[in-house]
Amino acid sequence: MKIFKSVSRLALLTSIIFTATAYAEVAVIVSAANGNSALDGNTISRIFLGKTSKFPDGSQAIPVDQNEGSATRDAFNDQVLGKSASQLKAYWSRLIFTGKGTPPKESGNDADIKNLVAQNPNLIGYVDTSVVDESVKVVHKF
Amino acid sequence: MVLRKSGLAAALTLVISPSAFSSDLQINGFMNVTAGVLSNEDISADGYDDGVSFDNGTLVGLQMTQQVNDSTSATMQLISRGSDSYETEAAWAYITYTASDSTDIRMGRLRTPFFYYSDFLEVGYAYNWITPPSIVYRLGALSSLSGVDLTQRFTMGSVDASVQLYGGRFSSDVELQGDEYAIELRRAMGIVLAMSMGDFGARASYHQTNITMDIDPGGTRALDQLAAGAALAGVGDEFIPDEDKSSFYQASVNYDNGSTSVIAEWTALKHDSAVLNDDSAYMISAAQRMGDITGHLTYAATSDNLKSGMVGTVQENAELKESAIILGARFDYDAATAFKIDIQYNDEETVAGADGETGVLYTLGMSLVF
Repeated sequence: MKIFKSVSRLALLTSIIFTATAYAEVAVIVSAANGNSALDGNTISRIFLGKTSKFPDGSQAIPVDQNEGSATRDAFNDQVLGKSASQLKAYWSRLIFTGKGTPPKESGNDADIKNLVAQNPNLIGYVDTSVVDESVKVVHKF
Repeated sequence: MVLRKSGLAAALTLVISPSAFSSDLQINGFMNVTAGVLSNEDISADGYDDGVSFDNGTLVGLQMTQQVNDSTSATMQLISRGSDSYETEAAWAYITYTASDSTDIRMGRLRTPFFYYSDFLEVGYAYNWITPPSIVYRLGALSSLSGVDLTQRFTMGSVDASVQLYGGRFSSDVELQGDEYAIELRRAMGIVLAMSMGDFGARASYHQTNITMDIDPGGTRALDQLAAGAALAGVGDEFIPDEDKSSFYQASVNYDNGSTSVIAEWTALKHDSAVLNDDSAYMISAAQRMGDITGHLTYAATSDNLKSGMVGTVQENAELKESAIILGARFDYDAATAFKIDIQYNDEETVAGADGETGVLYTLGMSLVF
């Protein structure tokens, strides 16, 4: 019985780890004080690619990126923006060197982004769902 | 070739990070290192010859942008080109005034927005070729002007569009086919319409200027001698541009779904003066991305349109008709470094009115941004 118990514990533990790595969910978040409820992928992608600087309700939208190399950032780039890291770099280098745009500021990891976004209703970021709390509002999940 | 991005970026971060955060000074840079060699010297292409050259396509650019206040920023882009013995020049230096969320006004030294790739012409990282096909991208010497421009952006449903208007002037000593001419462009102006919708984009532009050149029928440069020939034929005045109008037309369409991309661009030059031939040039290019590797194939062609009568007969002496096929590959080494190889087959059907030759240009390059 003892063996059975520890085996099932091990299984449980493995499944938790497995879930955490392979099925990590990413949440796009705004401050709890932000007036927008749900945003679709296209709107989010337009904000993060600098094509619009406004939320659907007309308020100013400022995207913040996670630091380069973050797994959450790679998932966001791939699934919401549909671009690889180098395609994004090429996209932004077309805008940076013409003064037509600058990429979102790199502003830290999941926890940093959550804290920043919570404090400013104009910010929009993306984090692993595990850090989401009542200070922020999830507007999109994937 | 051991210039890894990380080392450069780290060094740069060390130098700039304190100010980058305290006063919103942004520094960005790009670099292209290119080696090229021609199969034979019967053709001319981008300044290469049949010995390996590193200088023609090697350049480094550094851009600094300082936010002055909420609506105004100052930008300077310094470029050192191997083709100019690495002398540093300010390719851009302008003040941007953000009149509203969708309106920008810039004043200073600006890049003339002739082509689809004009704005980032020297940022090799931003495209697949080592350089955009020079058969079409042929106004390099006139690529900037001093003046003002206004960009207005619109969004209509899923369409993003912009209108750019500019005006200014330019004067400089410019090299054309190995000879140097003093060129002055006055009342240079133009309009650029651009739009994108999902994976599709389109751009159309019109540019015009009054051109004056120091053509001297007693001189030894190619165009001097052309003007001398014209004088003998009794049409000499037509070959001395003195505030003569020149126009440039451009249209392009492009598609990019992330893995497959296509661009077609058409351009035409029309001069009132006869010393420069009217021409049209176009290209069509397709690229396919497979992971970190992108393969691409391009066809580009140009031909001159001569004026009628005796003037046209004289112009035949400078007539050009050529085409090129470029096969290339780009390898994204990391998120800021790309290695490239291009093989360009040039067919110079007519050069200076005579039958030309064919040849192959091989170029190998590295592009990085930081």
